[in-house]
Amino acid sequence: MATDNSILPDADLPRPNVSLMALLGAFVRLGMATFGGGVQAWVHRDIVVKRRWLDEKEFLSGLTVAQVLPGANPVNIALYVGMRLRGGIGGAIAVLGMVIPAFCVILVLGYLYRTYGHFEIVHFVLAGMAAAAVGATLQMGIKVAGRLPRNVMAAVVAGGCFAVVGILRWPMVPVVVVAAPISIAWAFLLERKAGNVR
Amino acid sequence: MDSQESIAGTLFLHFAMLSMMAIGGGVISLAPDMQRFVVDAHHWLSNENFVAAFTIAQVSPGPNFLFATLVGLQAAGWLGALAATVAIVIPPAILTVVVLRASTRRSGNRYGRMLKAALAPLSVGMILATAWSLARVADSSWGAAVLTAATVVILLTRKINPLWLIAAGALIGMTGWI
Repeated sequence: MATDNSILPDADLPRPNVSLMALLGAFVRLGMATFGGGVQAWVHRDIVVKRRWLDEKEFLSGLTVAQVLPGANPVNIALYVGMRLRGGIGGAIAVLGMVIPAFCVILVLGYLYRTYGHFEIVHFVLAGMAAAAVGATLQMGIKVAGRLPRNVMAAVVAGGCFAVVGILRWPMVPVVVVAAPISIAWAFLLERKAGNVR
Repeated sequence: MDSQESIAGTLFLHFAMLSMMAIGGGVISLAPDMQRFVVDAHHWLSNENFVAAFTIAQVSPGPNFLFATLVGLQAAGWLGALAATVAIVIPPAILTVVVLRASTRRSGNRYGRMLKAALAPLSVGMILATAWSLARVADSSWGAAVLTAATVVILLTRKINPLWLIAAGALIGMTGWI
């Protein structure tokens, strides 16, 4: 049962009266607006700043949980905002609003690619776009690598995952199943040594 | 040749398991394993088809994880697209609902922050692995490699939406220079 300090408070606590239609509309728009990542920034601007459905602190605590759990961040954020405002049905509506229209658009693009992909000009254009898109992905990796703590644990785990999954092309599931607990245990030991946890 | 139904079923099971591995780096960090599974192991797609799926999803409105939808579409038609999308979305969503219901705001903040820090190196490794596996295919010419390198340098030094650089890539590609 949710209590008052739960991340999803009870229905009788004061909160803005958001209709399911309004929730659906907001997430359909957000789904279509999020070109190429950065979903949390869009959701923050719309849900917190513009519509004031959640305050800053509420949004951030949900965001932390959404980011650390497995899965697509946009889906987890939509689930949190939807459930927080309108319970289970709200969560489902926010996720569907975010995913379904974008799913339809991408299906159309996919069929266009299947129909016209064999033309040489399409091949050339996609080759150029792919080279730049790979650059964008690499830059993202370099940027987050720059924010890692400078210690052996971070270097071993990041370098190890890159080498075995990227270069050696090992299956990812066993790698994550082994690397995630090691990474968590190691970080916990470092914290304890630093005296942050008992 | 497998039927589309059986391909969609196999794809669903593998992607559903894989979806739970998308920690920290999001679904794009699953790209190396999806590529290994659908291209190398099963030959449902060519390497070029796979990179095209990734690229099209980057420029399409909507969350980037829908590149999995395009992979499914090419592997097994609309049934494959549906199977891939549901497999990527539903298993982690169920976990998220359970965790959100169970967590208090304080525990969410505290353990969330700790886990995020602990898993950050793993997600960095996986994103770099994604870039590497895509580059092996996309940067098969000197021109493409130079374009990738230029994109990295520009994005690291300037605040500019990557979409502009992908658009520039389309124009450069059109000349046949890549």
